[in-house]
Amino acid sequence: MPPNTVDTNWINNIFAPLHDPQLLQRIFSYSTKEPWFFTEFSFLAVFGIFLIFYAAIIQRNAWRKAYIIAFSLFFYYKSSGPFLGLFALMILSDYLFALFIQKKSGIAKKVLLWISLSYSLSFLLYFKYANFFIHNCNELFGTQFTDHNLFLPIGISFYTFQSISYLMDVYRNEIPASKNVSDYAFYMTFFPHLVAGPIVRAKDFLPQIVDPQPINATLYKESLLRIMSGLLKKLFIADYIGKYVDIVHELPQNFSGAENLLAMYGYSFQIYFDFSGYSDIAIGIALMLGYRLKENFENPYTSTNVTVFWRKWHISLSSWLKDYIYIPLGGNRKGEFNTYLFLLITMLVGGFWHGADWRFVFWGLAHGLALAFHKAWRQLFPKENNSHWSRIASTAITFHFVAFCWIFFRATSFGSAFASIEQIVFHTKWQDFTGFWDSRSEMGILLFIAAIIAFFPPKIKEKLFQEIQILPTFTWILWMTIALQIIIQFKDDVVQPFIYFQF
Amino acid sequence: MTSDQNTSNNPIDNSSEKSFAIGSAPSAPLHSSKSSPWLIVWAGISIALPILLLYIYSCKPEAFSFAGVELKQILGNQDVDAMLATLDEPEEATNNAAPSTAIPDTAKSSVAMDSALPFLTHASGVFTLPTYELPVFADTTKHRILLIGDSESGGLRYPLNDYCLANGHKLVLSMEWYSATVFNFGRSDTIDKIIARFKPTYIFLVFGLNELYARDLKARKIAANQLAKKLRNIPYAWIGPANWDEDYGINKVFKSSADSGTFFLTKNLTLTRAGDGRHPDVQGYRVWMDSVANWLQTSAKYKMAMKPPRKRGRPFRSSIITLNAAKYRGY
Repeated sequence: MPPNTVDTNWINNIFAPLHDPQLLQRIFSYSTKEPWFFTEFSFLAVFGIFLIFYAAIIQRNAWRKAYIIAFSLFFYYKSSGPFLGLFALMILSDYLFALFIQKKSGIAKKVLLWISLSYSLSFLLYFKYANFFIHNCNELFGTQFTDHNLFLPIGISFYTFQSISYLMDVYRNEIPASKNVSDYAFYMTFFPHLVAGPIVRAKDFLPQIVDPQPINATLYKESLLRIMSGLLKKLFIADYIGKYVDIVHELPQNFSGAENLLAMYGYSFQIYFDFSGYSDIAIGIALMLGYRLKENFENPYTSTNVTVFWRKWHISLSSWLKDYIYIPLGGNRKGEFNTYLFLLITMLVGGFWHGADWRFVFWGLAHGLALAFHKAWRQLFPKENNSHWSRIASTAITFHFVAFCWIFFRATSFGSAFASIEQIVFHTKWQDFTGFWDSRSEMGILLFIAAIIAFFPPKIKEKLFQEIQILPTFTWILWMTIALQIIIQFKDDVVQPFIYFQF
Repeated sequence: MTSDQNTSNNPIDNSSEKSFAIGSAPSAPLHSSKSSPWLIVWAGISIALPILLLYIYSCKPEAFSFAGVELKQILGNQDVDAMLATLDEPEEATNNAAPSTAIPDTAKSSVAMDSALPFLTHASGVFTLPTYELPVFADTTKHRILLIGDSESGGLRYPLNDYCLANGHKLVLSMEWYSATVFNFGRSDTIDKIIARFKPTYIFLVFGLNELYARDLKARKIAANQLAKKLRNIPYAWIGPANWDEDYGINKVFKSSADSGTFFLTKNLTLTRAGDGRHPDVQGYRVWMDSVANWLQTSAKYKMAMKPPRKRGRPFRSSIITLNAAKYRGY
């Protein structure tokens, strides 16, 4: 080859996937082990192409609906395969149940509601909790039931809650039952919220199906910014911090108190950035299609008490729990003692919803007790001290309580959680922090950045977001490219696993 | 959710409820205007094009650098996976190879001694020394041995010391670089300096425990090649990490960079572990070293006399250099 010619053989590599004889098979195969989430680059690429065709049919609502439902079903199929059938069955039965509930009245209506709710819940109870009950039954009574080899259908916790909210809203006459099965299917399958929420309410969403938001430049920029920041939050900050947290929680007793403490903070940021980043992407994607989902997080770590925290953390779940468990139980209408009891029950259910393990129940109980404690405190001392320092102190206390509870959420077992706490309480030394900084300064910097973002005053944050949205439209491709490159840059960076390994 | 009071102080709740239930919210005067299809096309391009660009970049064989930092490629790891798939699985530890020459008495006694330990039996499934006869190794060259490695080398040096004393070799230096990875060994000139100074005739390398979960195999492959280059002129044994868990391919990377017959795969040995669950314990290191010694006499490229020592746990008098990768990266 003459010295000046450029080697361009690699260009053929670009088209290599097209020559793959199994290309079609790969596109239409599903994998329950590697679900197709928003955070997959392949999803984003397909979504980009999906949008281009979407533009062609945007003016016709019926086509638009059909197109989105078809894509949503494909999206669900890619992650869950045959469980798509189960999901479709649930949608159809909910639709019919709601119509019947609306027609009936009195006791018949109530009976129908209970049948439909038990039917909806049965799937969740079976797939998510069957093995948990079998284990506990075996432990308690010495029975010999064997485990079922169950796969938890993706998103079942979320869409079951949506189905319950729809049936109960129809029962309470808050919304009319959807006359059109395609509207209801659209609401349930809409892929941005399908896999991991936000839990959307029918009364917020069904009206939008008829009258979606027009997509203009403001919406375009807002949605791209949401997607971009969501990707950075989840894939860059949360995943990177997660690597460290994973190492520590594998064997917490092997790490110093300082490292365990930083892992506790690290996990608090990880779970927040992970979930709120995911919600940001979901909201951004929905917005790009012309539908607005409700916010799921509102700077929860800036809360000054646990009650406020639960108004800002995973809002779609906490408001669901309030509307469909706490208030139906009796709320604060049945006396003081019952109010506390209902609060505890609600939080226990909320904890249990997160996973079939006693650790989650314990986590729910701890938060329930804290909420009850705060309620009692407010009754004793109704006047709130609104000074600057008291706000800072109460924010710090609230954050530390929440972070402490996350240990049980993250640990692999109760034993491991207590080991971690023991290390933090009895074995935290100052020199271990300097050791951490020497060996993992990148992680230290990232934790610091995460803390700044999490505790940043919301008002300034909002303003900053608006400033960024002024950027010229055509530059967004550049920003998106840079954001993705940052993610790639840090994705495979291995966190130095063992500084403890010195003997 | 903690009280019946509506959480409508949430501004977003308000706006979304108004805009869709009633149809006129200040934040969404959008219903009056129509969607622009071209803007949606542009949105699609804004998402798909960056990924396409990054994909095309990742098809390029060489990566770009920006301000001294290599810009990574999306498919970087898949490339390495494909490359590794074409490589053979590293050879098994050779405790099953069955050479058939006469067995020296020393080996017999050593087997007898170790077999007496409760956990070194077949029944426990941990590990047993070969019951076949070990070969007599004719080459009696006395080597100047250099042991280089991560924290594992700090454990392995004691049984190696026993072997050296039994076979007339001299362990001139044990360099233990805590938390080190192939980057420290490959990129730094520390090893060159030590070789120049101690002039070993045989080098033992043992590391990789800190990078079992490494996924940036492409970069590590480059560093491993750099390391192999440093060892060009001296016989060496490259001992793989004592996996406590499946690795993501670091053993394959080492195997592919080492000369054929110089890499010892430790992964499949079952070793007893220390309290941390990761490092081998004293007996684990002994069993490991026995296995390495057996391999060195039978199937390694650079063979050396390694008859089992009669006495274990002899005093260690060689020099030790200790580095910490957390404080000294070396490059």
